[in-house]
Amino acid sequence: MTIKILIIDDDPDLVLAARMPLEQAGYEVFSAGTLEEGLAAVDTIKPNLIILDVMMDTHTAGFQLAQKLHGAGAKPEHQAIPILMVTAVHQTTPLRFSPDDDYLPVDAFIDKPIDPKTLLAQVSTLLQKT
Amino acid sequence: MFTTTQSPIVSSPNERGLRPTRDELCQNIQLLIQLRWAAGLGILSVTAFARYALDIRLQTAALMLIGVAVLLYNSLLSLTCRGDTNARQVERAAWGQMILDWGAMAALVHFTGGITSPALIYFVIHAALAGTVLLPWQARSLSVLATAIVIGIALTEREGILPHVAIPEFEMSGTLYQNGTYITGVVFFFGTAILTLSELVTRIAQRLRQREERIRQLYDARSTFLRVATHELRAPLGAGLSLMHNIQQGYAGEFTPEQGDILDRVTRRLEGLRTLIDDLLTLAASQEVTAAHVPLEPVGVCPILDRIVEREMPNAERKNIHLTCDKSTDAGVVMAGDVGLGIILGNLLNNAIKYTPEGGRVNVKYRLNRPAQRVEITVSDSGIGIPADDMPRLFDEFFRARNTKTLQVAGTGIGLSTVRTLLDRYHGHITIESEEGKGTTVHVTLPLALR
Repeated sequence: MTIKILIIDDDPDLVLAARMPLEQAGYEVFSAGTLEEGLAAVDTIKPNLIILDVMMDTHTAGFQLAQKLHGAGAKPEHQAIPILMVTAVHQTTPLRFSPDDDYLPVDAFIDKPIDPKTLLAQVSTLLQKT
Repeated sequence: MFTTTQSPIVSSPNERGLRPTRDELCQNIQLLIQLRWAAGLGILSVTAFARYALDIRLQTAALMLIGVAVLLYNSLLSLTCRGDTNARQVERAAWGQMILDWGAMAALVHFTGGITSPALIYFVIHAALAGTVLLPWQARSLSVLATAIVIGIALTEREGILPHVAIPEFEMSGTLYQNGTYITGVVFFFGTAILTLSELVTRIAQRLRQREERIRQLYDARSTFLRVATHELRAPLGAGLSLMHNIQQGYAGEFTPEQGDILDRVTRRLEGLRTLIDDLLTLAASQEVTAAHVPLEPVGVCPILDRIVEREMPNAERKNIHLTCDKSTDAGVVMAGDVGLGIILGNLLNNAIKYTPEGGRVNVKYRLNRPAQRVEITVSDSGIGIPADDMPRLFDEFFRARNTKTLQVAGTGIGLSTVRTLLDRYHGHITIESEEGKGTTVHVTLPLALR
């Protein structure tokens, strides 16, 4: 069975940049552009891993989605899916430094711009854990 | 994006004026309390001096009593702004002190000669001070009230309802207090002086408050702008570079060596642009967090250091740099800002990695120096170092050492000047030792927060 990866990001270029190496590595890749689409896709596709952009249409959409999937009161089947969060290097907005990021319920971070080799390495590490 | 700055100066000003904040009220109450200590002691000492040294015939007992009363209620008032008194209570105390002072001054005026008393001038001074904490209509009413009190004292004494306490040395004739023209004159000048002064002071206070409000709004607009700019400027570059990496690493098919060279050049230029944007935004953010109105707070150094080391680890790994962190177990808390401290440490570590060639090493050391009451952070690298001639200019904005240009390392020369600005704000200290070609050691110390 192929491993399914869901990319939730509103930037189609970034989705493409993540999709290319993942597909060539043999993963089946899906994408969603908004918070709502993303939530729906999690249930229909049942991905093995989610790649989530930190800032989507609103500046906190990524955080909200992470909370919904992994935070308190989330469904166990959602909790089981690892989340790799895409962040911007040197983010100086309060987001990165807010106290919440200590318990932001994601499993790993990857910095923008995405380095394909690093992405594949992170993805396989996360998948091995589950 | 700056639409908020086009709104009127004050968002929704109360038509009666801007209320002072709790902090402002407290500051003014503290000032009045200090002045009142002096006033109370002044009444006591001047009475004693006038009575016994100058032999002026005063109502010594009554005046001493007023002095003691002032000191007594002042010690009660000095408890006002302690601890958790809320804005409402503070406002009530501000009013209470006015009434108490008015009472004390009325008594003082009465016992030093009523309408002929030289102490009348104190009402005017007090009205000016009150103007700093009151709304314009309140100050106006108080001035009218003060004038009414003076008229009241003058008339009751003139009609003999209240006994006139004469100071013979002041009133040669002894009947000046009965002179209608004199009373009218004093009341007129007193009234106009007190009204004008309190009006002036409240207006200036209002203008300052509006200005403060406006500055606050500008800062808010700036923060919003920074947040938006951060995203809008970085997002396209991030996406573009991510796609470039895909081509370079062969995920989009084969390319010729010439094309590869061009791709490398484009990537390098884009990386340079990214560094520039990052540095400029960091500079702006650091100016924001070092602004005088942002209070310093106790911040743990270790959690931030851990976060920064974790963040920079991928950058080090990409260049095969051995990044180590050597931390003492003592957790140090400094007076700083979470974001600001992150910027300082992030910059130092990022520099060390940036200016260290492949396969080098970067070490971060954290120590708590108890005798000196400071935390010490040392970042050392085996990098390209800094030419001795360039050392004095390291902290200048936009300055970059010569060897960074020949080695083509992207940078803007903003990092260290930002670090220095932040450290100044946090009462920190930085020293840099370096030898060209051997490496650089940056040593930062920050004072521990007092418990």
